[in-house]
Amino acid sequence: MPVRLVEASSPSQVSGTTHGNTLPQPCSLLSVGQAFSGTQNVSSLQKDEAWRVNVRIQGCDLDHGYLCGTMEALNVPMADTPVVTFWEGEIVDTKNYTFFTGKWGATVTGLGIMSRVEDDIKHWTKFPSFPPLLSQVEADGGKSLDLSNYPYVFMRWKEQYFVNVGTDCGLTIAGFYYVCFSCSDGSINGFYYDPNSSPFQKLELKSTNDGRSGFSFSTYELQ
Amino acid sequence: MPASVASSNPSRPENLIGQLNSAHTSYEAKLKALRDLKNQIIGNRTKKLAFLKLGAVPSVVAILSSSAAAQYGGGDNLEFHESVLVQSAAAIGSFACGLDSGVKAVLDAGAFPILLKLIFHPNEKVADAGARSLKMIYQSKLAPKYDFHQEKDMEFLLSLLNSENENVSSLGASIITHSCQTAMEQQALSEAGVIKRLVALLGGSLIQKDASLESLAAVVKDNPEVASRLVLPENGRELNAVIELMRDKYPRTRLLACTCLINIRNTYVSYLQDSGIKKELILILLELLNDPGQVGDEAPFVLSNLIAEKEGMQQLAFEASIVEKLCENLQKGSFQAKRLQGIFLALADLCSKLECCRDRVLHLKVLNFVTEAFAHDSAEVRAAACIFLKNVSRSVKIAALRAISNVVVDFMAHKSLFVQCGGVKQLVQLSRSMESAVRVNAVWALKNLTFLVDNRCKEEILLELSTSTLTSLLSDPEAPVQEQAFALVRNLVDGTLNSIDYVFGDDGLLLHAVGRQLRNTSKAEVLVQCMYTLSNVASGKEHHKEAVMNQLFPQTGNDKETILVKFLQSSNSQLRTAAVWTIVNLTFPSSPGACGRVTALWNAGIVSQLKCMVNDPCLDVKLQSRTALKQLMMFGDAST
Repeated sequence: MPVRLVEASSPSQVSGTTHGNTLPQPCSLLSVGQAFSGTQNVSSLQKDEAWRVNVRIQGCDLDHGYLCGTMEALNVPMADTPVVTFWEGEIVDTKNYTFFTGKWGATVTGLGIMSRVEDDIKHWTKFPSFPPLLSQVEADGGKSLDLSNYPYVFMRWKEQYFVNVGTDCGLTIAGFYYVCFSCSDGSINGFYYDPNSSPFQKLELKSTNDGRSGFSFSTYELQ
Repeated sequence: MPASVASSNPSRPENLIGQLNSAHTSYEAKLKALRDLKNQIIGNRTKKLAFLKLGAVPSVVAILSSSAAAQYGGGDNLEFHESVLVQSAAAIGSFACGLDSGVKAVLDAGAFPILLKLIFHPNEKVADAGARSLKMIYQSKLAPKYDFHQEKDMEFLLSLLNSENENVSSLGASIITHSCQTAMEQQALSEAGVIKRLVALLGGSLIQKDASLESLAAVVKDNPEVASRLVLPENGRELNAVIELMRDKYPRTRLLACTCLINIRNTYVSYLQDSGIKKELILILLELLNDPGQVGDEAPFVLSNLIAEKEGMQQLAFEASIVEKLCENLQKGSFQAKRLQGIFLALADLCSKLECCRDRVLHLKVLNFVTEAFAHDSAEVRAAACIFLKNVSRSVKIAALRAISNVVVDFMAHKSLFVQCGGVKQLVQLSRSMESAVRVNAVWALKNLTFLVDNRCKEEILLELSTSTLTSLLSDPEAPVQEQAFALVRNLVDGTLNSIDYVFGDDGLLLHAVGRQLRNTSKAEVLVQCMYTLSNVASGKEHHKEAVMNQLFPQTGNDKETILVKFLQSSNSQLRTAAVWTIVNLTFPSSPGACGRVTALWNAGIVSQLKCMVNDPCLDVKLQSRTALKQLMMFGDAST
């Protein structure tokens, strides 16, 4: 008889615990060297378009909630080669970073900081794995959440510069991504946020492995 | 024939010494010769060495001795003898100043006890000269060790500290600074009431302040109990004097006050929680870095003392722009070796934990100075530059950027940043070293080199390393070396699909080494790398997966419990993780031969073991054992 697996419990709201117990645990599939590929839909009112995208994690420092990597966009109409960018990420671990962005704030509207928080909530809510956390996040940005057993990692990724093309290539990297990573299968979903672009451009990636039938991991240590 | 000018010059060392030694020289002439000698050697190291070689010291000490004796005998020429005492003591002090050979000569000649007697001489000039001279001797590690446990000697010390003469009281402090070494000595000094006296000296003359600051630091250093006697009474009121001296008009006093406070704080951790004072300390040190002299040379070392291992202090220093200031100093140009060493060490401390500091350093483009420093004459400077570089390289971002540096045009022009010990050749050489610590580091570096590189690089490394060296590293007597060697193999088989073939060469030499070690070793760190290697191989084609099965379930022997189950039950979460990934890969749904492997795994009891792991505290293990179970279930229940 098939075994009924226990449902993943929603994260506890532990108040007063030391941060050491509540940070997201390291996940093999979100480590240096891991690669992902999929699409980013860049549809606008004029047309429907999607670019193939490859992402590789190049650096990871969990203690400081830091991640970085490269993103390669293929079949970009304006470019004759794939366009590679270098991005840096913030891991929402409630210690280093919370669900509230608080910066990279494009335009400052009349509502000031409040609109940023609303944007944050609006975007996080689009991930199916977020709603169990919503009430706590609305209360305090999620500072008292225990994410150590949550099988998803939330991040913000910001492209910092173009690696192989000039800034005059006609492309913009002014915005950033809200990202949700699934620890069980390494799939990534994201929404690009840029007040000057169409909203909710979706990024969908799966863990890839150089054509292997399975998952492979290298090791690197900075002493 | 005219006599050669040189030999008749009365100021030549030989002549001066001759005059001092001769019984025929008049008193006036001797005094003149003494003065002359003293004036020649003060501040002139070459002259000092020249006179030393000619045996000047015993002559001077002999004169000192006879005048001292004449004094006590009463009699004429008191004034003359006092002048002799002053000049000879000054000369002796000068010989001992900053010159160990001078100190040795002075002590060997028996000057010490004579000088000691002088410091309570009624003539203040004589007392001063004697005290100053002894202070010079006490700067050297050759100075006689003062016995603080002897009651008589402790009383003598206290009498020095209590003296109205600033040279004598500061001598007392100096003796403490240089002779106090053990906790017992610190305790004895504290009990004798020395601290109170030293604190009183903080209100004295410049000489007394400076000597006392150094002395206080020595008495409390690394001794929380003694430090508490300074810190606790009335909330450290006595330390307010030290804090005030942080703002003194003399740079050296400010530096010594900072040093003293930092030592106390490092010893008695709850002191100086006030961030206002912490910030002030940083700003004062920042400003002292500008001093062109010895104070500026020492300031970076004091800064290091303040921030080493303390992320909070490093953050405050960063915010006060200390990184910019230190880099500015590097850019100013050549410095004394000591200052250069200090700057590199302080920068190294700043970059030890904070990414923002490493980032700032990169932006300020000072790494060129690092490469220059590698060629410096001073070994200390070279070592300090190395430590700095190592800490900067800890940057996750830098490591990441290096990986994509073949695409990045500008940023990583600093090829020198990655001092990979001169290349693979040298590393391979070092991996054959007799010393295990060297072998570990060499193989560790080689392992990092095989991280995410293309096959051309892997082949170059393998060619240089050679399979025979690699296999001997895999069975190295030291487990840490084995661990790095297997990690290297793990990296080899990651990457493109055909990389897996590296372990199949020579009849599967490397693969069999992995399997063998899995069965033979008990060291978890080694097992982890072996298991990951097999896991990586198991992500390949059919025949790769089959080969892994053969390693895990050898035909020979009838072990009921396979090693795989043992690893799944390990208390080491990394090993459990690696084992589970192996199973995930072996049962990957799209592979044609999965069915057979699934059956074998069911029969080995893997399924029941995995069922116990669906709520493993390690998230990776929990999630991937569920994935593995799902995959195993897909082929139906094969249990009897």
